[in-house]
This record gives sequence, C-alpha cells and structure tokens, in this order.
Amino acid sequence: MKKLFYILFSLILGSCSSVNKNTNEINIYSQRHYNVDEIQYQNFEKLTGIKVNVTKANADELIQRMKNEGENSPADLFITVDVGKLWQGGEMGLFQKFQDESVFANIDPQLLDKNGYWVPVTYRSRVIVYSNQRVEKNELSTYEDLSNEKWKGRLLVRSSSNAYNQALMSSLVENLGTENTTKWSEGVVSNFARDPKGSDRDQVKAIAAGQGDIAIVNSYYIGLLLSSSKDEEINAGNAVSVFFPNQADNERGAHINISGLTLTKNAPNRENAIKLIQYLTSIEAQKTYVSNSYEYSVNPDVKPDEIVQSWGEFKKDPVDLNSLGTNRSEAIRIFDKTGWK
Amino acid sequence: MEINKKYRSNSRKFILSTLILSVLVILPIVALIISTINIDTSNFKYLWNNLLFDYSFDTIYLVLITSFFSLIFGILPAWYISTNNFTGKNIYDILLYLPLAIPVYIMAFTYSDVLSYTGPMQSFVRNHFPEYASLLNQDYLQIEILGIIMALALYPYIYTACRLSFSLVGANYIDLSRSLGMSRTKTFYKIVIPLSRVSIFSGLFLVIMEVLNEYGAVKYFGVNTFTSGIFRSWYSMQDVETASLLAVFLFFVVVIFFFLERFFNSRYNFHYKPNTKKFKTENPSSIKKTIIHFACIIPVIFGFVIPTLFILGNVIYEFERIDFYKVVNLTSNTFIISLIASSIIIMIAVYFQFLKRIIKNKTLTFFNEAISLTYALPGAVIGLSLIILFSSLPFKSELLIGSFIVLVYAYVMRYMAVGISPLKSSFEKHPSSYDDTAVNLGMGPFKLFKSIHLPINKSAIAIAFLITFVDIIKELPITLILRPFNFDTLAVQTYEYAIEEMIPKSSIYSLTIVMMGTILLIFLKKIINKEIDVSKS
Repeated sequence: MKKLFYILFSLILGSCSSVNKNTNEINIYSQRHYNVDEIQYQNFEKLTGIKVNVTKANADELIQRMKNEGENSPADLFITVDVGKLWQGGEMGLFQKFQDESVFANIDPQLLDKNGYWVPVTYRSRVIVYSNQRVEKNELSTYEDLSNEKWKGRLLVRSSSNAYNQALMSSLVENLGTENTTKWSEGVVSNFARDPKGSDRDQVKAIAAGQGDIAIVNSYYIGLLLSSSKDEEINAGNAVSVFFPNQADNERGAHINISGLTLTKNAPNRENAIKLIQYLTSIEAQKTYVSNSYEYSVNPDVKPDEIVQSWGEFKKDPVDLNSLGTNRSEAIRIFDKTGWK
Repeated sequence: MEINKKYRSNSRKFILSTLILSVLVILPIVALIISTINIDTSNFKYLWNNLLFDYSFDTIYLVLITSFFSLIFGILPAWYISTNNFTGKNIYDILLYLPLAIPVYIMAFTYSDVLSYTGPMQSFVRNHFPEYASLLNQDYLQIEILGIIMALALYPYIYTACRLSFSLVGANYIDLSRSLGMSRTKTFYKIVIPLSRVSIFSGLFLVIMEVLNEYGAVKYFGVNTFTSGIFRSWYSMQDVETASLLAVFLFFVVVIFFFLERFFNSRYNFHYKPNTKKFKTENPSSIKKTIIHFACIIPVIFGFVIPTLFILGNVIYEFERIDFYKVVNLTSNTFIISLIASSIIIMIAVYFQFLKRIIKNKTLTFFNEAISLTYALPGAVIGLSLIILFSSLPFKSELLIGSFIVLVYAYVMRYMAVGISPLKSSFEKHPSSYDDTAVNLGMGPFKLFKSIHLPINKSAIAIAFLITFVDIIKELPITLILRPFNFDTLAVQTYEYAIEEMIPKSSIYSLTIVMMGTILLIFLKKIINKEIDVSKS
C-alpha cells in the first residue's frame, strides 16, 4: 500500500514538470477541432522548428480559463469558429491589438476586424439548402422570406444553443432591428417542420428523408457530405442544392461568420505567434484549409474547393462582424421569447 | 478500558484528517458558491421566468423515463439470474455488465446514426424492402428515445447493485414468505424489493446523477434539461456567474433529495443476517424461460451488441486510415491518468469508510455523505469550480491550471461517489462485533484495518476501484477543459471526431474505450460472483 502511494505521488510530482520553459514553442487555446488544423501545425513545425502546443475545448470554457489564469496564462493564441467569442474575449480585456499590420496583408479587407484585435483564417456562409424534388430555386429569395407562411411545416434548423444560429440572429438584429427580427423569428418558428435538434448535417438528411423541404445550414457541411466515403451520405448531399440568400442587387448578401484567431494579452511567445498567423494566412496554408474543410479562404487569391466552386460565387453581407458579438444577448432573448428551442 | 482510551486519543487525529480530506473535496464547490455571491441576478430572473419551467419539466420527464427503463433492464435480469436455472445464464451475467463500457454520448451518437435516414437500418430496408421504407422513416431524435438510450447505457449500475443485494437477502426470508402462502411474484415485490431498497436506490442515484449532468447527448436530441440552462447562461448568455448559481441551485436540490431519501430509507434499515443459506434456484417452465431470455437479451443486444458491432463495422471500414501510433499513445494516456485518479479515490474512500466504522461521530458521518454529492455537478462545472479555486488562492496557483495535478483533483472530486457506493454497503454489512473483538484482543486501528477490514472488504474495494476506473476512462467534459497542452485521451479524441460528425473516424477510439472497459468489467464480474458465492456458502 505504502509503495503504491509513493509511486503515485512521484508520478504526480513528475507530471508537474510538464510546465516547461522551452522558448521555441507556441501555446494555443483552440475551439477548432478539425483534422486540417493538425496538418497545418505539423507543416508549420517542419518549416520553422517552432513547437505548437494545443489545448482544444469549448470557446467559453477557454475564455474562462484565460480570464482566471490572468497574466500567468500560458496561452499565446486563441482560436474560435465564431467571431462573437473573439469580440467577447476582447471586451473582457483578454487580448491585445496587433502592432504589426503585416499580419493583415494577405486578407480580404471586408473580413478584417475594424478594431484590430483579431485575424480571420477562414470564413463560411450560413446558407439555405432546399430539396431538389420539392422546391424550385425561384421560390427562395432572402432570410427574411423564411418567415413567409408558404414554408409552414417545411423549415428545418438546429437549436438556438448553436453559435452559428446565434450569429445569424445577431446579424439580423443589426440589419433589421430588434422588433422586425422578433417578428421574423416568430414566423420562422411557426414554420418549423419539427423541434430544432441534431446537427447541420442532420437537417440535410431530414430533407432527404422528406421530413422537411428547406434548411438553414453552414455551407461546408454540404461539401463534407458530398465528399463522404459513404454512398448514403453522398445521396443525401445530392438530394439538396445550396442557395445563397439576399443576393439581389438591392440586398445585402448572405450571412457569413469567420473562424479567427487573436493574440492574448500577455502572450509569452508573441513573436512565434505572429509567425504562425502569417503562415496560416499564407497561400499555401489557405489552400490546405479550403481543400480539407470546404471553408472559404480569407485570401482573395485562393479559390475554394471545386465542390464549393460549383455553387457559384456570392455576395457577402458587409455588416461589421463585431456586431455578431455585440448583438448576441439581444439575439438570445429573441430566441427565447419566440420559442426557438 | 485501556484500549478504548487509545482509540479515543487517536480519534481526534482521525477526525481532523478526514475533515481536511473532505474540505479538499468540497472546497471547489465552496469557491463556486462564493463566486455567486453578489452577482447581478437579472439573467437568473430572466431564465427563471422564461425557460426554467420548461427545462425542469423536460428534466423530470427524462429522469423518469431513464429511471423506469434502467430499473426494468437492471432488476428483472438480476432477479431471474439469481433465482432460476437456464442455459446461457452465466454468459448473460457477464454481458449484462458490459454496456457500462460504452459512454452515454457514444451510445447516443451511435444510435442516432444507426437509426438515421442514411444509417444501416433504413438504407437496408430501402434497398431491399422499399414498400416498408416509409414505416421506418421517422424522426428518432425524441426525448423518449433518448431516455431509453440513456437507460441502456446506465442500467448496469442497478444490475450490479441488485445482483449483490439479492444474493444477500438469502433464502430464509423467501422460504418463509412462500410457506406463508405468498406467490413468487408477491414475494419479489413484498420481500425482496423492500429488503434491497437501499442498494437499488444507490444504483438509481448514480443513474439519475448521470442523466442530470449529461449535456452533449441531450443537446443533440433537442432536449433541454436543467443542465442545458446552466450552459445556456454560460455559453449563450456569456454569464458564467449565473451558470454557477444555477449549478449551485441544482446541487442543493440534489442534496435535499439525497438527505430526504436517507431519512425515509433509514426506517428500512433491516438488520438481516446476510449469510443465510443459498437460494434454491428454480427450473422455470418453458413459457417462463422465454420471458427470462427476453428480459436478459433485450438489454444485452441493445445496450452492448448493436452499438459495439456498429463501432466495429466502422473500424473495419476505416482500418487502412487508422493511426495506430496515436491509438497506443492515447490509450496509455487514458490508462495512466485513470489509474492514478481511481487509486487516490479508493484510498480516500476506504479510509473514510473504515474510520466511520471505528469512530461513531456525527460530523464524520456528515462529511462521509457530503463528499459523494459532488457527483451531482456537471463535469464542466466541476472544471469551472477548480479554475475559480486555483485562480483565487493566494500563491501563484493559477500556474497549476492545466497541469495533471488539477486534472486528477477534478476526477477525484467528480467520481468520489462512484468509489464510495460499493464500499459503503460492504463496510456496513459486517457486524460491529468484529471490531469489538479485535479491540478487546488489543489490536490498534492499523492492525484492525490490515488484518480484518482489508481482507473482508477486499472484493468491495476491487469492485469500487474497477467501476471508478471504467468511469474515468469515459470521462469527457472535465478532461476537455482542464487537460494539459497536447494531452488527449481516448474519450476526447472520440468526441472531437464525433462532434464533427466523423463517426467512422472516431470509431477506433471509442472501440478502444469499449474494449478497455469490457476487460475491466469482466474482472469486476468475476469478483462480484465470488462475493455472491461467499455469501451463499
């Protein structure tokens, strides 16, 4: 018994030494857990010899961790898949502005942070997909039109606890105002084919299964379904088409959200972090993103994957992306008020 | 008496040591409670007015469905196996434990995939019997189905408790009841169930706690439980204080129920003599045999065989793309961290149970109960409470966040209840005359532990260790939030693929969890059966 205790004790003590002081490294808190990120970090390590350490968890949990760790936080970079969280962490004073503007060099100016705190690495659009069998393309027009009675019992979407839905609602608050957005949400909820549940892919599968006719999903999920190794999933992907809403000349464009990163306030390995950002926005790394995750590149010179190209080009909603964070609490209240579960 | 004096002088030291240990276990909750003092309650009121009624309703409904099916899947086979002879009995007895090896969220993701439109069941029917395809084409993401899926993953807690307890009830009471003219069914309801009530409840308690703190599966199924409310305020409303307040509220609700149950059940504290003669096992009629097979095979097939085959199928499908180096690496991470945490839990739990026996002290008993209650908190909230605690201590303790120490600390806090549960019934079972005799023979407390309590509770200690170990292998939310850089476990990797809907890619990691769990549970079953046989002989 005693022996066992000593062994355990020394194991635990030994584990403390994992807090090492190697300077040629970089520490990332990331919400992204896609395979492609691992490939990017490995390539970066090979290129620069800088070791990339990653902890992946939910964005809000990582924000709490950084807040509580304070100036002793080991994190250099924070990566999310929702600009709202980048804005929030910025509000909490967890991040620093980029002094060196060269990190923005490769990026489409429309996607940049007006305050200079965060850098986007990819973007995605929240689009409408529709059944090829039961819906004609010309029946679709805008997000606003989804509250139209003609979609009663036909609309599918996941729950309001999902950050992508929250960002979409925030963009509507910014564009239409709270009152109109509340009315819109009421209409949308009354059009639901079923209670919100499942993932974005499940909404597409539900269209294939005939449980609804249109769905609100992130664009890259269609790419992932179509490139699946399972025939049934490819069939489900082929049962729908992608529609970018609000594309007419007098309309604002389709809602987008970014996956982005930011430098923490006390980043202990700041120089290395900047190098990684420059690498991730380079043409080479951007190509790796688009071909593995079916997202859009923030670098205007990098074309999307072929599957994504086949949906055509689209106009992006030019709204200040930070408003997807500032309007978040208003958006949540609208969800709750209108019964969007 | 000389010896008693010696015990008394030691007892202060003992009580002090348990106080320190309990405080360590409870401290993070205290930190959490302190962090909610003086918060802006507007969001809390908002949630209370708008959502918490619906959330509470869903919570109660889900708890009821899961409890109902867990009790059926757990009690019936345990009763039949304890009292009947039939072919396959021993194999059922192993297989019935095994769903415990499958984490709830994997069970849920697996079934939603199996049942989905693109899943194997519907595509098979669509391709071969198209006329029936529309019958199966349903929306399976429903609260009732989720309840059954959770019951399939959790019923073994009840099965284990019942197997041990039924064997302790022994044959004397049953014979007596039969000779007084009660039917076998009536005996079961009037004698066996009341006598086993305490242990059935301790199993059910674990099931309910698991339902209360599940988040991933309920979110996927579009069900909102009270825990969804906690995460609504944390993740969506970005108000971590209100989230903490809700967690504290949930914690106290559970505490109240826990003590109420203790209060009512204490009237049922039967002091039956466990070592009565062996059950007379019956040779059932062929109709009854069919019922028995049905009762045993349903939980086995749906709780273990189908999900495991589905995972295995995916592994074979993905075989060429598997990174075995990574699998080995994550397996050893998972193994080592679970081993360390479960060993510490068992040492603390045994120490507490032993002291509770030799020192009758109300404070001690209170703390003994209190350290189990941390199980009521969702893992992510435990993670949060430790982050708050370590960032508020005076020395530079925030440096420890993200170290193995804090991670193990969190596991110990979270799973103490799982370790204590089997130890408790075992330590309470043996008559206190053992201790008196030993004391009269001049044994000191360490000798008493080493030569009496360690050997007679050996099986319970092993059971507690194995169950805790299996639970920690499956642990997800705490590991996600507190783990050190580059440290992944099998559960984390499974989750990361599953959440991106890459179920085939996640399968090798979930299969490894299931295999590790299965091996440990087979050990567990052997120990339990030895225990059952000993009490019968």
